[in-house]
Amino acid sequence: MGIVDSPNGRRSVKKGRRKSKRIGFHLDMTPMVDVAFLLLTFFMLTTTFSKSNTMEINIPPEKLEVKVAEKNVMTMRIAGDGFAYCSLGNEAPKKFLLYDVADTRQLSLSGDLRKMLKQQTSANLKMVIVVKLSDKAKYKQLVDIIDELNLMKIDRFSLDDYTELDALEIKRAV
Amino acid sequence: MTPMVDVAFLLLTFFMLTTKFRPPEIVQINLPASHSIQKLPESNVLTVTVSAQNSFLMGVSSQQSREKIFNAVVIQKLKHAGLSSKAIADSLKHFKLAESFRVERDELDKYVVMARFADPKLRPVVRADAGAGFEAVNYVIKVYKKANLLTFNLITVLKREVR
Repeated sequence: MGIVDSPNGRRSVKKGRRKSKRIGFHLDMTPMVDVAFLLLTFFMLTTTFSKSNTMEINIPPEKLEVKVAEKNVMTMRIAGDGFAYCSLGNEAPKKFLLYDVADTRQLSLSGDLRKMLKQQTSANLKMVIVVKLSDKAKYKQLVDIIDELNLMKIDRFSLDDYTELDALEIKRAV
Repeated sequence: MTPMVDVAFLLLTFFMLTTKFRPPEIVQINLPASHSIQKLPESNVLTVTVSAQNSFLMGVSSQQSREKIFNAVVIQKLKHAGLSSKAIADSLKHFKLAESFRVERDELDKYVVMARFADPKLRPVVRADAGAGFEAVNYVIKVYKKANLLTFNLITVLKREVR
């Protein structure tokens, strides 16, 4: 396969040893090239240029309080039962499916929820979304919600603790 | 053939030098997907991993910080358990090379504070399984908040479908 000949190397058995040693020697590089290619294929196939993707989150310090008018607050409660309960200010929460039923792999939030978020935030530019997840919710739901808000370029949102009051609140849901 | 071999060797050296072997993971983490394309910084990362079973693992990227954490927290435990100094030195060697180690829930805050003390420039990161409970992740966030680490990253994988 891979014989490398030097330009004036000639394989001749008849010629004297001394002469052939001096003028253009002959070296069989095949094994070395084989090993090199073997290693090359190994490294090429095992290397994945993967650097993880991340989402950045800022949380407010413990003692900081930001006052927002009640009408500019939308609370989104995730109780862990597959629904999102969204309420404007003090209104009774509305129930939305978190994921569409047809979306079996739960790739994105349901169309209804997305439409509502878009509507509300474009209607009121001062809208702040407070997301509250109960302990029964899954981490994936948090990531999906933040991802959706990021995609919609909504940066006015925050995470808050889910309390007993929230559990009572979602019972009023319509 | 010489040029081809030259190129082959060039590629070979490139791949050999850029490859960093990933150590085997203690627990398999199935990361959630998102559309975020921000990349994770390579150095000064403090990772708290939450597995699908809601157990916690912690890892720091630099070996100096690992040594500091070991000297501050782990060494007392080992001494308490009655290990010889040689055994402690041996476990320090392992600890420095380990990417992450298991942490009990109630000890997490102690380790995070120690890590921050060892390297104030640390970038906190949450690496949680998609199936992990929000409660466990929220606990990590609270620990970060307590340690005054207010900006952190959630590790995700890129979602393929485009909208």
